[in-house]
Amino acid sequence: MPGSSTPSHPSTKTPSPATASDIGYANMPVTKVPGWYGMIAWDALLNGMATGLFLAAAVSELVAPAVFTPVAKVAYPAALVLLLVDLGLLVLDLGDPLRFHHMLRVFKPHSPMSVGTWCLTIFSLPLTAAAGLSVLAELGFDFEWVRLLAVLAGLLPGFGSAAYKGVLLSTNAQPGWKDARWLGGYLTNSALLMGSAELLVLSALMGHTQAAVILRVAFSVLLVLNLIPLGLLFANLQPAHARLYTREQQWRVGALIFAAGTLIPLGLTLLNGGLLFLFGALIFLLFGSWLVRFVYVKIPHTSPLEIRSGE
Amino acid sequence: MASREKELSALAQTSDPPRGLLAQLAGRLIYPFLHGKPPEPRPATGFYTDTTVCIGCKACEVACKQWNQLPSDGFNWSGNSYDNTTELSATSWRHVKFIEQFSDGSLGALDPLAAVPQESILNRWLMMSDHCKHCLAAPCHQACPTGAIIHNEFQNVYIQADICNGCSCCVASCPFGVITRSSMGGHSHKCTLCYDRQRDGLEPACAKACPTQSIHFGPVDELREMARKRVEELHRRGVPQAYLYGDTSSQTYSELHSFYLLVDRPSVYGLPDSPFNPWLHMMGDYTRSIAGGLAAIAALLLVVFLMRS
Repeated sequence: MPGSSTPSHPSTKTPSPATASDIGYANMPVTKVPGWYGMIAWDALLNGMATGLFLAAAVSELVAPAVFTPVAKVAYPAALVLLLVDLGLLVLDLGDPLRFHHMLRVFKPHSPMSVGTWCLTIFSLPLTAAAGLSVLAELGFDFEWVRLLAVLAGLLPGFGSAAYKGVLLSTNAQPGWKDARWLGGYLTNSALLMGSAELLVLSALMGHTQAAVILRVAFSVLLVLNLIPLGLLFANLQPAHARLYTREQQWRVGALIFAAGTLIPLGLTLLNGGLLFLFGALIFLLFGSWLVRFVYVKIPHTSPLEIRSGE
Repeated sequence: MASREKELSALAQTSDPPRGLLAQLAGRLIYPFLHGKPPEPRPATGFYTDTTVCIGCKACEVACKQWNQLPSDGFNWSGNSYDNTTELSATSWRHVKFIEQFSDGSLGALDPLAAVPQESILNRWLMMSDHCKHCLAAPCHQACPTGAIIHNEFQNVYIQADICNGCSCCVASCPFGVITRSSMGGHSHKCTLCYDRQRDGLEPACAKACPTQSIHFGPVDELREMARKRVEELHRRGVPQAYLYGDTSSQTYSELHSFYLLVDRPSVYGLPDSPFNPWLHMMGDYTRSIAGGLAAIAALLLVVFLMRS
């Protein structure tokens, strides 16, 4: 057989029995854990940050160009940088990164990874154009209608790039993940939430007061709205978490996610519209969002015995 | 010169390997996009494994390793009966499982073909040679974004190792825990159902090596017929718990082209009791994903629209 001489992927633990009662196979996990670790949590976060920033900027600019165009022109290059870092993580996570382009040899609608790859590839083109033309506009070369055309063209693949990730991580046979029916709903909603927060901080940073005022309200509304898919996702994952963690551990992590991801950002945003407060809100939001993704990615890697014994 | 070398040298070269850095790079970029002509479909083949006659000799494991040139996995005492292979992996495409069912302190004689067993007086060995199930609607095949996993002309699930890029979607989606990504090459591997041997009209190495005919190979329809007759025979001989696993489709999973005759619950053998194809949820998951995003966009639009002036 070409190219393999080691017994298995490091992620797959040898299912040795821990006690005499574990002899046999009835208590052993049937499925194998894919080599998707913390990098995937960062990938899911950056994917949401990039696509959300683009979508928030595009939607705002198209509805109120007079208010949002200057901020959007900075948001598109920022979204492109975030997307490039995300794509780098996606490629590095492959078993054979030099074969990343093999994903583009076919299009399979029933493979979320294939749909995502094509969405990201197509999305990168108008995003690059919008970002490039935004930078050119700052340098005095204004191709406004072409830039707007690129923004419009990026809407659908951008949305697809945000929407596929949750389906990819829930349409599989892994314990816990296979029950996460609302992961996609949460991740896509969270992408828009993070994008609005990023756009808000950019507006405050650039001194665009009216844009910042509007986005403060929008961000607060989206923070509350995001609690719905988050709650539904947690309800989906509750049986898996109950197997892995004690009730106290579940409450601790849940409280941390709620406080860092919703309560503190909301409080900071409503308390003061200053840059420092808004930046703090963004940092807390990103931490909370990362934590949700990290806890999720960890589920199939977690052994109930290890967690319950507190190791 | 060995005879094998003579044979190889006599084969016609289809193309020379690219020379030079640019040529190699171009070859590497273009190669995966060159789709060959698919071979003509042949009758679907598969395995029928009768676990009641398996003696746990592991000849199938050895034959698989030998024919497919799979490296050793090292040796570790697992503590789980005679099973030191422990699992299917990128380098173990056959795995003989040993299940010891002995009641503590029982004086009952070993009786593998006992009538309806009571857990308390059960005294028997169960052995089973496990492998890829070659599902008709295989989740790994559906998940693969590169097209590396295909159904070949024999309707077997086959991984094209030169196309796989190690994304692990297949690993995540297999409900039987069959596919594994190798940490050496970074690609996924599993049983090929000896595709190369089949093309030459030979049966797979494991079936050839099996000394008790526990592993049957052939056209799936014939295997099903044979398996059903065997179940009826076992029922007549006082083994009413014998049944076939995976020979027909269920509401949540397709039929398996490699199916088993079992005499206990599937989970006892390390098989899922009710395998579920994750793709049954896909459309619903996409709908919720899109709804979550659209709700956020609608909220953002509303606020921006109301506050823009």
